[in-house]
Amino acid sequence: MSNGIVVLAQNNNTTNYVKQAELLAMSLKVTNPNTKISIVTNNVLDIEFTTLFDKVIPIPWNDSAAESDWKIENRWKLYHASPYDKTIIMDTDMLVLQDISSWWNFLEKYKLFFTSKVYTYRGSIANTSYYRKVFEANNLPNLFSGLHYFEKSEEAQEFYHWLELVVNNWQTFYEVFLEGVTRPKHMSIDVCASIVALILDNTSKITNASADFPSFTHMKKNCQDWTDGSNNWQDRVGCYISRNCNIKIGNYAQSGILHYTEDDFLKKSPVIERYRNLINV
Amino acid sequence: MNKTKGAFLIARNNAQIDYVKQAVFLAKRIRKYLDIPTTILTDSVDYLKSTYDETVFDRIIPLEYNPQKNERVYYDGAMYQKQATFNNRSRCQVYDLTPYNETLLLDTDYIISNRLLKNCFNLKDDFLIYKDSTDLAQVRDEQEFKYISDTSVPFYWATCVFFRKTQINEIYFNLLQHIEEEWDHYRRVYQITSGLFRNDFAFSIAIHIMNGFTNGTFAKEMPGKMLYTTDKDVLEFLKDDQMMFLVEKRNYLGEYNALSTKGQTVHVMNKFSLNRIIDKELANE
Repeated sequence: MSNGIVVLAQNNNTTNYVKQAELLAMSLKVTNPNTKISIVTNNVLDIEFTTLFDKVIPIPWNDSAAESDWKIENRWKLYHASPYDKTIIMDTDMLVLQDISSWWNFLEKYKLFFTSKVYTYRGSIANTSYYRKVFEANNLPNLFSGLHYFEKSEEAQEFYHWLELVVNNWQTFYEVFLEGVTRPKHMSIDVCASIVALILDNTSKITNASADFPSFTHMKKNCQDWTDGSNNWQDRVGCYISRNCNIKIGNYAQSGILHYTEDDFLKKSPVIERYRNLINV
Repeated sequence: MNKTKGAFLIARNNAQIDYVKQAVFLAKRIRKYLDIPTTILTDSVDYLKSTYDETVFDRIIPLEYNPQKNERVYYDGAMYQKQATFNNRSRCQVYDLTPYNETLLLDTDYIISNRLLKNCFNLKDDFLIYKDSTDLAQVRDEQEFKYISDTSVPFYWATCVFFRKTQINEIYFNLLQHIEEEWDHYRRVYQITSGLFRNDFAFSIAIHIMNGFTNGTFAKEMPGKMLYTTDKDVLEFLKDDQMMFLVEKRNYLGEYNALSTKGQTVHVMNKFSLNRIIDKELANE
């Protein structure tokens, strides 16, 4: 049985997701050198980073997100594109800061697993209400597709078939499952995945509220338990990266998976340079 | 080893507040409710001996008189305030000064009214401190007692701390002394805008460092929860284990709600009203 991480990276006019994925792959090389990672993309990788990836996989069945900015229309294809029997899907704007081999052992028990609680940089459970009003208003299961797992199986395949259906017809499903005033005007893969969990009535089988991990540190600024505002988290707290790529945010040493969320983190911090120096890429 | 245990109080008077009086009052309550001896560290030994019954203390440890420039505002209810010296720079030395193997370090305005803290001595954990707290008024923003600053580390109350003499705790208190000595550096690193040294902040920072700059297990929670009233409330009545407070009313400056407690230990931050109550108590003895 093979296992590995898969990321979907499609650049748009403002964000180089491939660059983010390359950084993620470097972080994985540091903390989990034996874990494979594949990238699903139609963009071209920087030549020096290609060796970080196990496989570079074209987006299957044409690009469903050619006309969109957010590029999430292809997310349902990852089940089919993954070369692994057991796969962890991650957002590209994440860093793996610790050995996560024990997470694979935990996930053995599941055919499909979604993170349902995330953490602040201070290690407390993040209150994501600010960003998840539609979930609360419609009693949707609080799934975070930015970090989830599946094993190639009938159960996972059924979920992904439904996800394809919901993503391709999201306005229709939103009308059925979401109250009018709370209904978003844009498609969200988290909302779509939660609607699928409702349809299949399998939330308790694909989440574990009492498990602290697998999860991630969610750096969206309005879930950090701050009272004072700012435009982004990087203006609110310092971020420090040692030569060994140990990361501190504010006064907190970071571990687990860091979802830094702000693309200019790559420009404002020396994170790329630090990782390149450390693994000699 | 003979496991000695006791409470440790620090009393450094300023021009406005008689902390020695509070310590005498609290020592009696410690004996009554916790049945342990009390040691006092004070820079007013002569005043203590000439004014109060010194026999309430197991030991009196003299401290050199060394007034600080640490000034702060003390309220006496919501409408009245005074500026006074905040002589709080001795707490970090308690590990070296305490005569006990097991020490309960208390602020003199922490009014013991039950036996709950006796449980500290029966627990296996070597360092206990309150993190969770409840404002009796229930109308104020409690964020300032959640983190030492908005983006910084959790707030711990140096008001009430239990520790045993262990190698790890010695490291902790050495670290505390270092933080105190280099306060201007640490308060900037931990995003504290005020230059005023506060023991709560130093204790909190040291715990964070002992935890490896993350959420660790160095400090365990004290039994129960820290109940407090701020100096904008007024202690109006105290008899045995009963207290009656006038607590701030939301959106009505200078107006109060009456609130009674029975059998609850409370941190009474309005030191003026506490001292008025103690005066009455001492007059009745």
